[in-house]
Amino acid sequence: MSATSTCQDCIDLLLDYVDGELPADTKAKLDEHFHGCQPCEDFLATYQATSTLCRRSLAKKMPDSVAAKLHDFLRHEISKDRDGER
Amino acid sequence: MVEDSVLLLRAQAGEMAAFEQLVERHQHKVFAMTARMLRSDDDAAEVVQEAFLAAYKKLPEFRGESAFGSWVYRIAANYALMRLRHRKVTAQVEEPEGGPEFNERGSLIDEVADWSPNAEGQTLDAELRNAIDEASAKLPEEYRQVFLLRDVEGLSYEEIATATGDSVPAIKSRLHRARLSLRAAIDRFYADRAS
Repeated sequence: MSATSTCQDCIDLLLDYVDGELPADTKAKLDEHFHGCQPCEDFLATYQATSTLCRRSLAKKMPDSVAAKLHDFLRHEISKDRDGER
Repeated sequence: MVEDSVLLLRAQAGEMAAFEQLVERHQHKVFAMTARMLRSDDDAAEVVQEAFLAAYKKLPEFRGESAFGSWVYRIAANYALMRLRHRKVTAQVEEPEGGPEFNERGSLIDEVADWSPNAEGQTLDAELRNAIDEASAKLPEEYRQVFLLRDVEGLSYEEIATATGDSVPAIKSRLHRARLSLRAAIDRFYADRAS
C-alpha cells in the first residue's frame, strides 16, 4: 500500500481491519484515513452494524411441533439403538 | 441450573434424561441455523434430528475439548452443507450485487449515511427484516453460507473451512463481498425510507 491510503484501500481491507488482523503499519494507515474521512468512518460503522442487524433479523425459533417430533424421534431411535446392544 | 458439562457426563453414563436436557437447551439454535442455511423448515427439522442422533452416537468419543453446544452445532452445519451439496445441480459462479463505487483516485463516490445506531435498537422494524431477508436470499449460495456461518452463527474461519472444504482466504473474500452486498441493501432501505 502507498504512503497514504485511499477509501478503496480501506474498504478492501475492512474485514481484516475489523478482525484486528492487519499488520501494525497497515492498520495505522487505515486508522489515519478513517480519522480524516467521514464517509469511510460511516462506512466502517455501517459495515460492522450490518452483521449485528442481520444476526438479529434472521433470528428464528424452532416451532413447538418440530421440537416435539425431535424428542419423539430421538427417544425412538435411541431405544432401538440400546435394544440392539443388548 | 445444571451446567452442560455435568449433563454431558451424565448423558455419557447413559442417562437419557440428561441427554434430552442438552437437546432442549440447544435445539432452537441448531434449528435456526439449519433452517436459515437450507431455506426450509422441513429440511431443517430432518437435519436437526440427524445431528442430535449423530451427537448421541458419538457421545462416548466426545472429550469435551469444546462446549457441547458448539460441537453439536458443527455436526448440524456439516449435515446441512452435505444436503446443500446434493441439491446443487450445476456449480454457479456468481458474484453478489452491491458494493461501494470509487472514482479514479480511489475515493468513495456516493455519500455515506450512518445508520449504525439502529443496529442496537430494542426492536427491529418488520420492513427492515423483510429487506434483510430478501437481500440475504439474493446472495449467491456460496456467499450466503459463509455469511450465515460466520456472522449469524459465529463459527470461526477455521471451522467454516473444515465444514466447507474451502480455504480461509476464499472464505474471507466471500464474507467481505456478502457483507458489502447486505450493507448496500440496508443502506438502500434507509435511503428509500428517508426519501
